[in-house]
Amino acid sequence: MSESAGANAPKPSSSVKLVLLGEAAVGKSSLVLRFVNNDFQENKEPTIGAAFLTQKCTLPSRTIKFEIWDTAGQERFASLAPMYYRNAQAALVVYDVTKPSSLTKAKHWVAELQRQASPGIVIALVGNKLDLTNDGGDASAVQDVESESAAPESDEAAGEEGEEQDAAPGDARKVSTREATGYAEEEGLLFFETSAKTGTNVVDVFTAIANAIPESSLKTGRGAAGAGQTALGSRSGEDSRVNLGDRNAATAKEGCAC
Amino acid sequence: MDTLAETSWDVVIAGTGLAQSLLALSLSRSGKKVLHLDQNPYYGGSEAAFSLDEAQEWVNSVNQHPGQSPFEDAKVITYPLDSSQPSSEGGDHPSDARPKLAASRAYTLSLSPHFLYTRSQLISVLISSKVYRQLEFMAVGSWWIHSEPSAENSELGATRSFHRVPGNREDIFADTHISMKSKRTLMRFLRHISKPADEDSEETEEDLSAPFGDYLSSKFGIPEDLQSPLLSLSLSQQTLEDTSASHAVPRIKRHLASIGALGPGFGGVISKYGGGSEILQVACRASAVGGGVYALDTGIQSLTDKESSDEYPVELQLSNGESVRTKSAIGTVWDLYPTQERPLSCAKFTRSITVVASDFTSLFPVTVEGAPVPASAILMFPGETLGSPQSPPVYLQVHSSDTGDCPRQQSIIYGSISMTGPEGQTLLELAVDRLIKAEGPQAVALWSMRYNQQGRLSNDGSSPTIQAHSPHVYSFPPPSLDLAFEDENIDMIKQAWLKVAGDEDPDDFMIFDDREGADDM
Repeated sequence: MSESAGANAPKPSSSVKLVLLGEAAVGKSSLVLRFVNNDFQENKEPTIGAAFLTQKCTLPSRTIKFEIWDTAGQERFASLAPMYYRNAQAALVVYDVTKPSSLTKAKHWVAELQRQASPGIVIALVGNKLDLTNDGGDASAVQDVESESAAPESDEAAGEEGEEQDAAPGDARKVSTREATGYAEEEGLLFFETSAKTGTNVVDVFTAIANAIPESSLKTGRGAAGAGQTALGSRSGEDSRVNLGDRNAATAKEGCAC
Repeated sequence: MDTLAETSWDVVIAGTGLAQSLLALSLSRSGKKVLHLDQNPYYGGSEAAFSLDEAQEWVNSVNQHPGQSPFEDAKVITYPLDSSQPSSEGGDHPSDARPKLAASRAYTLSLSPHFLYTRSQLISVLISSKVYRQLEFMAVGSWWIHSEPSAENSELGATRSFHRVPGNREDIFADTHISMKSKRTLMRFLRHISKPADEDSEETEEDLSAPFGDYLSSKFGIPEDLQSPLLSLSLSQQTLEDTSASHAVPRIKRHLASIGALGPGFGGVISKYGGGSEILQVACRASAVGGGVYALDTGIQSLTDKESSDEYPVELQLSNGESVRTKSAIGTVWDLYPTQERPLSCAKFTRSITVVASDFTSLFPVTVEGAPVPASAILMFPGETLGSPQSPPVYLQVHSSDTGDCPRQQSIIYGSISMTGPEGQTLLELAVDRLIKAEGPQAVALWSMRYNQQGRLSNDGSSPTIQAHSPHVYSFPPPSLDLAFEDENIDMIKQAWLKVAGDEDPDDFMIFDDREGADDM
């Protein structure tokens, strides 16, 4: 994330709504906590207890302010509301590299995003818990992940039952990098393997997403840039939105809200 | 996968309508273990909003399961390309330039569309609970009243046969259709009702028992042709004769007092993307953030209140095969007792939703400098203008594409009348047709649906209240059919919250601090 030459002038800043998806306990919230606070908690309670967290990502040409929305557990019983996907410009679909069923679930979420979200949404597939594999833990090793874990051809057929055969002692990896990359390429997704615990690749995921969001879909202010049905017209657009916060002042003065 | 039965719940809330969702939010933030269910695979129940495909599925489901929801007799009407435009102008469109429906998902059609007055208690709740930050609101602008189009009238578009209802003194001065004498009577009325209550103390006993029309003529000498416009400001679902002054006058006061409260030139707001449906989804999400557990497509099959001193006296059999225990349960009767026959003393409405290829720009004027461009307008068709003087009025709520309900260059017309059967349907269709025709040949209906809905009519003066079915089971009343959100609902939700939460301070209702480490909530 290098600074541009004329760094004194403030860069254009845009808000991007990013939604998190993935099976329970794959580390969705931990990834966000690492990105936002550079922190990790070993036995974290499910969900982060906030509507969304924000974190800036500075690119050479602009600053992206991510609004990161957690599922708040609403994915557990198939109860994510359409408003969750509304105007999301990016999605992080997370699975656990030690748990093949979580990749299956991730594929389900990718399909759901393709059905429900704005057509231009940037999706990143993220295999988390890299620290539990032989590749993980140490950030410098990450660049080698692909070559190291390039498994024999026979892996392809191993499917969801796990791929014990290529698990070295102490290596809990059950989803090969090759399998996930292949899927991500097919669907046009960004792909990373990360460790929220060690921090490996976490910032890189968000930087890659920030870079992948087309300039044309970035505007300042929230919810303004969603592609497709947002339909903010030339006639009025954002200026016509009513700020409910305005009433705080008005009603406080009059001492009555009704 | 974890199961719902693993936990014993403080409360099970059935149905995800707006009232239930706000209750769920308040209880989850009071630290209660909340299980919030909906028998449907979507949020909102009778206040849901749908894409075109979802609307078609809903219509099929309503007709297949009569009596299991407040709806009946639903129908989708599509307009084949050739017959959609029977007028002679039709030939001007090359077939590929003809306006078309966009993809199903480009629409968010609300089953129970309503707006919020700017001083509504719901807005206070959305602000104090911080939920409003996840919502976008647009202004509800002008009220229009239908009159027969006159030949000499030179105005363009829909305003040829609709007159803007003056909403304040400036409007009355500026109005070119009203005689000076009538203007004086209107001014007198407005002055009277906008007097602060305490100055009014000598005449607090003002007699409001008369029909609204009689009240206006006898007390203020307001001519008949100006009575319907005033009635429209009250959003009364009945005729001038059947609406009592005690219903209309406070509601007109509310209307006038709302203008300017959130900015110049408007008195109402709607949430983008389906109105109440979006608000309730945001409330459910906030409730989930507070620890509430959500399960859609999971209904209550049977419910037993042991009425004992057990800690968890209520047992619910769910449609997913699980059985859960809870301290209390609350929902609408349709959600709590889905198979039970109920004698319902509800009002019935005919509603319609029409997707139109037109902007209806003339309905959304900016009337005051600095005002936002309205995204919604209210039109009222008194029965006599539709050739049926005894009938209640037809109301149309027109939503521009700025509401996010439809793609650009299209609009949604939400129509309603408080009568059912062929006569109600005919009047509703006639009103929608008049509006579309008035806009000119380029305005074309692309898709529509109609349905009957049972609910509460606020005209009868009763407030919504929670009903106890057994010591630990409560039901919400049927939803309101009002065009504006009824503030009494907030009192009702607060009652329910106090009942279930037990030891809370009533003043803390829906007041939440910003959460640690987050920008929001």
